[in-house]
Amino acid sequence: MNFPQRSRQAAELCSAGALASAPAWLRGATKLLLSTLREIFDEAAYSRFLARHGMRSCPRTYAAFMREQELSKARRPRCC
Amino acid sequence: MRPLIRTLIWFIIAIFGALALGTIALHRGEQINALWLVVAAFCAYALGYRFYSKFISAKVLMLDARRATPAERLDNGRDFLPTNKWVVFGHHFAAIAGPGPLVGPVLAAQFGYLPGTLWILFGAVFAGCVQDFVILLFSVRREGKSLTEMAREEIGTVGGFVAYAAVISIIVILLGVASLIVVNALKTSPWGVFTIAMTIPIALLMGFYLRRLRPGKVLEVSAVGFVLVMLAIWGGQWVSQNAAIAPWFTLSASTLAVVIIVYGFAASALPVWLLLAPRDYLSTFVKLGTIGLLALGIVALRPTLHMPPLTRFTDGSGPIFAGSIFPFAFITIACGAISGFHSLISSGTTPKLIRREPETRMVGYGAMIAESMVAVMAMIAACVLQPGTYFAINSPAGIVGRAPEVAAATISGWGFPVTAAQMHTLAQTVGEQTLFNRTGGAPAFAVGMAHIFSSSLGGQAVMAIWYHFAIMFEALFILTVLDAGTRVGRFMVQDALGHVWKPLGQTSWYPSILATSALIVAAWGAFLWQGVKDPLGGINSLWPLFGIANQLLATVALCVATTIIIKMKKARYSLTTLVPLAWLVAVTFTASWQKMFDSNPRIGFLAHARQLASSATSNHEVSRLIFNDRLDAAVTGILVFLVTLILLESSFLWVSVLSGRVPARVKEAPFVPTRFAAEEQL
Repeated sequence: MNFPQRSRQAAELCSAGALASAPAWLRGATKLLLSTLREIFDEAAYSRFLARHGMRSCPRTYAAFMREQELSKARRPRCC
Repeated sequence: MRPLIRTLIWFIIAIFGALALGTIALHRGEQINALWLVVAAFCAYALGYRFYSKFISAKVLMLDARRATPAERLDNGRDFLPTNKWVVFGHHFAAIAGPGPLVGPVLAAQFGYLPGTLWILFGAVFAGCVQDFVILLFSVRREGKSLTEMAREEIGTVGGFVAYAAVISIIVILLGVASLIVVNALKTSPWGVFTIAMTIPIALLMGFYLRRLRPGKVLEVSAVGFVLVMLAIWGGQWVSQNAAIAPWFTLSASTLAVVIIVYGFAASALPVWLLLAPRDYLSTFVKLGTIGLLALGIVALRPTLHMPPLTRFTDGSGPIFAGSIFPFAFITIACGAISGFHSLISSGTTPKLIRREPETRMVGYGAMIAESMVAVMAMIAACVLQPGTYFAINSPAGIVGRAPEVAAATISGWGFPVTAAQMHTLAQTVGEQTLFNRTGGAPAFAVGMAHIFSSSLGGQAVMAIWYHFAIMFEALFILTVLDAGTRVGRFMVQDALGHVWKPLGQTSWYPSILATSALIVAAWGAFLWQGVKDPLGGINSLWPLFGIANQLLATVALCVATTIIIKMKKARYSLTTLVPLAWLVAVTFTASWQKMFDSNPRIGFLAHARQLASSATSNHEVSRLIFNDRLDAAVTGILVFLVTLILLESSFLWVSVLSGRVPARVKEAPFVPTRFAAEEQL
């Protein structure tokens, strides 16, 4: 396991530990907020892409994801 | 007991709402606190959502929780995906929240806070939220089809063509106006130009980080990008005060216009991952945070509104845009009340994510309420300014005079005291060379926002940082609309031209990309150039054109909605869309008529052209201004003609269906029971 993976796991454990003691409604609200942000910022879409194609995250797979996104997302009108 | 308590609560909300609205509408003399607007808005939205949207859900649309949505039936883990309703809400709100609700209310504040606020509240509850909601649901029932496709299928070929033409026109006009707002915000502002210029290498760095170092970690890289942008804002102060470097970033309006046109062309042709996507993520990150901060700031600070409820300019003689409250207040504020553009988003990605039909109420109606709330906040930000300051910033030099002393005297003569020295001090406080003639709404909004933020956090010492943060936020926001809009326009043109010559329809063929990008950029660039060269500032003529175009698209959307409701054999409930439709027709057609034919040269394009033609001066510049006026009149006329066609076609269809000559048949996807209901029961 390399340093970025260890520090990511440590951060996740810390935040999980901090949240575990929080009230249930706060845990739920935080989880919902993070899910919403992950969806808005396409992180969830990337996770689904990886799951769909059975790939691991790496620059090449992200490039493939961005190509797929470009075809669909670039056509979406952005409001005024 | 519980129903009684619920009824009592709603009764209290109604009383509070009525009290707040009454205070806003009837209070004269003393200035009022911004919280009255917040309370009135909250109560209006709460009542609208609880009762009116519930009525539409139950009686008009008959939302069916047992019916499988396309997200469930066509689930492919990519476009079609059943998604948690709160996530869809956030996603939809992020898509519809544009610069419109920030700029429109600021411009409409020239009439005072009252007309714009009432239109935002009532327009949203009875028109905008209804449009977004019904179009979303109808698209859900049609496999996520777009507005253009629904118009073609439910009304006819003319309907589909009109919707397509309206969309392309609005995109071009919107991009021209939006880029003009950015030009007016950044001209002669080295701090502002430096900050925005830095967002390009920051976005490139973010793109590299995302692509190579930490693939997919968008939230993380957006946070990093945000920190870098804040450093750029802080660095911009040093740049603006450095005698050697500042001139490089002090650009005239014309130079900025050329830069933005070149940027727009490049952005349309470049790979998305390199610049557009990172800037988009950064802009969304900043946008959501700023809206949240502004809401907190207003509630915490409870600022006083210095603008009166009604100003003398209700007579139509306003400096920011000419024309009386009816119809111009109603087209100046579009996105915060009703925006045709939203119908494109409601029939875009969102319908493909809706898990259960009842969730369309919260997403469609609810997200528009949130957008309307942003418009209320923008109105507050504009109205916390002293009226003299507000008019000094927003009035064009052609009306008040170019010299600060002359402008201040003109504005003071209107009854809004202001001095050149006060404006100079304010400009210095926010780190600008001048705040006179900074038309377009963005600088005024930035000053108002900086005033609110600095009063809550940091004080006067950081007002310049907050001002430039606000300018950066608006400019970045608008530039991403520019990027995305140019690409969307390019795709639409490629699709259309592909029918004429197939290679042009290939979206990845570079000659086609370059040619169609050039076409779209030239179209909106022409409007931008027109605005930059207009002695009256450009916004005076172009923003009404944008408002008319946007609400004509809303007219198309409401025609589609009314047609479907009648075909659903719910004609007795068609007033829910017919009344806002009739209102919009009255507003947009009156505004269009006046903009084309009014004898006042400040209002009518053709009257202005005649005035120029009969003036003693005759040169290339005057000829160009005359051409622009005639072009604007022609564009307005064509849009009105196209919408008249769809109104006529729709009306004939309604009469035919109601009289039984045409069978009442809607083109919905067949009913398939949802599996989610069974899973929930388990």
